[in-house]
Amino acid sequence: MSSVQGASFGQRNFKYLLVGPAIFVLLLVGVFPLVYLLTVSFQGITMTETSTDFIGSANYKQLFDDARLWQALLHTLIITAIALPLELVLGLTMAQLFLDRLPGRAIFIALLVLPVVVSPIVSGATWALLFNHRFGPINQIIGWIAGKETILLWTINPDLVYPAIIAAEIWQWTPFMFLLLLAALGNVDRSQLEAAAIDGASWWRTFSRIVLPAIAPVMTVAILIRGLDLFRLFDIVWALTQGGPGTMTETISVFTYVKGFQQFETSYTAAVALLVIILLSALVMFLLRRVELAR
Amino acid sequence: MADLRVSALHKYYGSVHAVRGVDLEIPAGEFTVLVGPSGCGKSTLLRTIAGLEDADKGTIEIGGEVVNHLPPRSRDIAMVFQNYALYPYMNVFDNIAFGLRSRKTPKEEIEPKVRRAAQMLAIDHLLDRYPRELSGGQLQRVAIGRAIVRSARLYLFDEPLSNLDAQLRDEMRSEIKRLHQELGKTMIYVTHDQVEAMTMADRIVLLRDGIIEQAGPPLDLFERPASRYVAGFLGSPAMSFVDAKVVAAGDGLALRLGDGATLALPARRSANLGNWVEQPVVLGVRPEHLGRANPGERAGLARHSAIVELLQPTGSRTYATFSLGGTRAVAELQAHDVSAINEKIELSIDMNRVVLIDPATNRVIS
Amino acid sequence: MSTLAQRRGLRLGLRLTAAVLLTLVFMFPIYWLFMISFKTASEIYAFPPRWYPSSFNFDTYHVLFRDGDAATVGNSLVVAFFSTALAMFLGFICAYSLARFSTGGKHLANWIVSQRMIPPIAVVFPIFLLYVWFGLVDTYIGVILLYTAFNLPYVIWMMRSYILDVPRALEESALVDGCTRWEVIWKVVLPMCRAGLAATAIFTFVFAWNDFIFALVLTRTEVATYTVQITHYFGGQSNFWAKISAMSVLGTVPIFVVTAFMQRYFVRGISLGAIKG
Repeated sequence: MSSVQGASFGQRNFKYLLVGPAIFVLLLVGVFPLVYLLTVSFQGITMTETSTDFIGSANYKQLFDDARLWQALLHTLIITAIALPLELVLGLTMAQLFLDRLPGRAIFIALLVLPVVVSPIVSGATWALLFNHRFGPINQIIGWIAGKETILLWTINPDLVYPAIIAAEIWQWTPFMFLLLLAALGNVDRSQLEAAAIDGASWWRTFSRIVLPAIAPVMTVAILIRGLDLFRLFDIVWALTQGGPGTMTETISVFTYVKGFQQFETSYTAAVALLVIILLSALVMFLLRRVELAR
Repeated sequence: MADLRVSALHKYYGSVHAVRGVDLEIPAGEFTVLVGPSGCGKSTLLRTIAGLEDADKGTIEIGGEVVNHLPPRSRDIAMVFQNYALYPYMNVFDNIAFGLRSRKTPKEEIEPKVRRAAQMLAIDHLLDRYPRELSGGQLQRVAIGRAIVRSARLYLFDEPLSNLDAQLRDEMRSEIKRLHQELGKTMIYVTHDQVEAMTMADRIVLLRDGIIEQAGPPLDLFERPASRYVAGFLGSPAMSFVDAKVVAAGDGLALRLGDGATLALPARRSANLGNWVEQPVVLGVRPEHLGRANPGERAGLARHSAIVELLQPTGSRTYATFSLGGTRAVAELQAHDVSAINEKIELSIDMNRVVLIDPATNRVIS
Repeated sequence: MSTLAQRRGLRLGLRLTAAVLLTLVFMFPIYWLFMISFKTASEIYAFPPRWYPSSFNFDTYHVLFRDGDAATVGNSLVVAFFSTALAMFLGFICAYSLARFSTGGKHLANWIVSQRMIPPIAVVFPIFLLYVWFGLVDTYIGVILLYTAFNLPYVIWMMRSYILDVPRALEESALVDGCTRWEVIWKVVLPMCRAGLAATAIFTFVFAWNDFIFALVLTRTEVATYTVQITHYFGGQSNFWAKISAMSVLGTVPIFVVTAFMQRYFVRGISLGAIKG
């Protein structure tokens, strides 16, 4: 005899009713764009051409020949490769600094959290202000150190734009790393540290052999989150340089935006967007598998 | 109050067959204890009766009504959980009143009911407190209070005393038993502790690997176990099992143990064991079946010389471990019968009460 | 005084100094931003740059309010609030289903997590095209919907973790006592998750409040949020720095206030997010 005989439709399907609305909304973001992008990328829509005829894989061929696209990926990679380790090391140092008791610790932390809650576009705008060649304090401070008036064109000089962007990025997100790592450091088993102290281990030895392995999981998550965010970097670049000078600081997101919303190359942009999604997914899969295996 | 009938109940957890065809009939008003080792299915059975799990096969009837498809709240049951399951953000009064409020009991009725339940459990002075301020015993009383305030027809207890220390457990055991006498409701109590089972139950249901090994009044299971498993489960210290062979001796039969010792069987028993001559059996001896031999004892008591290997005095009694037929056995002696290990002592074994088991089937030979 | 205590005192002094310096460095840009908004045009363009205004000048703010630019902060509020509320509601019940019933098994859970990883630009582009078709560009509903969709994976993931921490026995007890499953979700599980809910809600709200790219693409004049408004002042005009900084301050102060009040939950949210992530 069936044991669920008599249960109402709502009772039996309750769990599906709970996830239904959320999934429905998620489909908007998760499935629809993919389908749409796929369709449009095989069409030939541009600023001038509005026909929706399929033109085969011409857009995808164009992807491989597009130097600007690969440059954009390179730019993104460079920024990520520089900013991420810096954020990590700086965040770790700060976490170590604030780990033990300190007068006013709560206030310090409360203040240090603020850069994280500022909008990235505001952050970019603020650093644009700071880096302003005539009216920004940074050039002024450098001038004091150098002894003479310094006019550095941080947002235009090809040698200086990357440092400028990375500075803004690090300022905004190091506190995030800091908080994460502070929590992780706080969870390290105190008795292990005490045992190491009694054994006579040096600070470095304790740190590298006991602390680092203990916080490795959190660090991995932090790197994953920040790495993903850096890959998608848009706001700060847009505020500081708009991808310039020329296309020198164009990240992949900026590139996509320009192609889609300034040059209106709709179909090609669709192909680019799909490429970005695929790259990102592959990267994440790869990293997650490494993490799973490491466990 | 209502009776409970479970018929041919099966429950799977994934690939694990947790309950394998259980038939159970519990008359209204009885205190039934489901007992068994971890993983025997007793908690699963209880939770299925409660409706927290769906039965895969079989029926559950409460008060004659099939309840398989009813959600827990429609079965008119109350449950006490092992971890109390009290809401930390409500005070004791609100915790107890929660069920009444969920069923839209009128406000005027709630307060007196809660107070009465609290008084029954001697916690009426704690109604304003919050769970974090209470001790383990008090928490358990609140949990019980929440269950009895509703006058359900069936009460379920899922190992409620496991988290308490020994002394508290003793106290609460009598409390719960007293409650049962006062309320007269049908109660099903799950525990892995056989002492709890023995002391509290009107009826014990011993489970093993998802099936019922034996069910019946406690003394029935204790004195007339159906299988080796039941015999070994109940009683503390546990029964000792010694390999033996039935042999002819004089006018009747006797048991020959592995080390050559022979224990004569009383006439009554010999009569039933005609087919067992020269067959291997397992002798089951409880500590209380043994005692210090006194001169001129009645028939049915076999004598055995033993050397004491270990002593465990409990105050009024002393448990002495010795070797019987090559197997360790425990005898329950008076406090001063024996004073040191390696002492030799003459024991008498009550062969009327010992249990004989068929080694092939592990069933008890009646 | 023993040398150990002396060394400890010295270490503490050094750490304190480092902490102060660090905080000053990190606070400096915020200070500069706020400070600029109170300067007059001539002060802003003074050379060499002055580090403090001669007086608190609210002119720029007056202009922003007069021109209606400040209303964009109101748009940010509407959009962030409703999308957070919606995402929290839908996400919470979905998380409950995942946590207690393992609905959809690993596949559904993994799919939901993977949605977090989608780059915004790749999403906003087709969404924009869709919205054009449906006439949803520059509407509150359109923006709210997208923010909700984008925040759902995070909410679901975090809340699922918090719900799993609630002892099942509490829910079962309520079920036996007379609650329906729906009542259990709201009367028993929700109160137990209060801290997690607060932390998640703050994060979600801040994300929507601070977003730029979605707002840039999907709003025009009606629903422009303050982040988009700031970029309107880029390039060209003479007092654009003043407006940029004032508008930024207007959009940032509310978040600072919220964070100050909810500081505990925010910090906890970040740390727990990593440990549970």
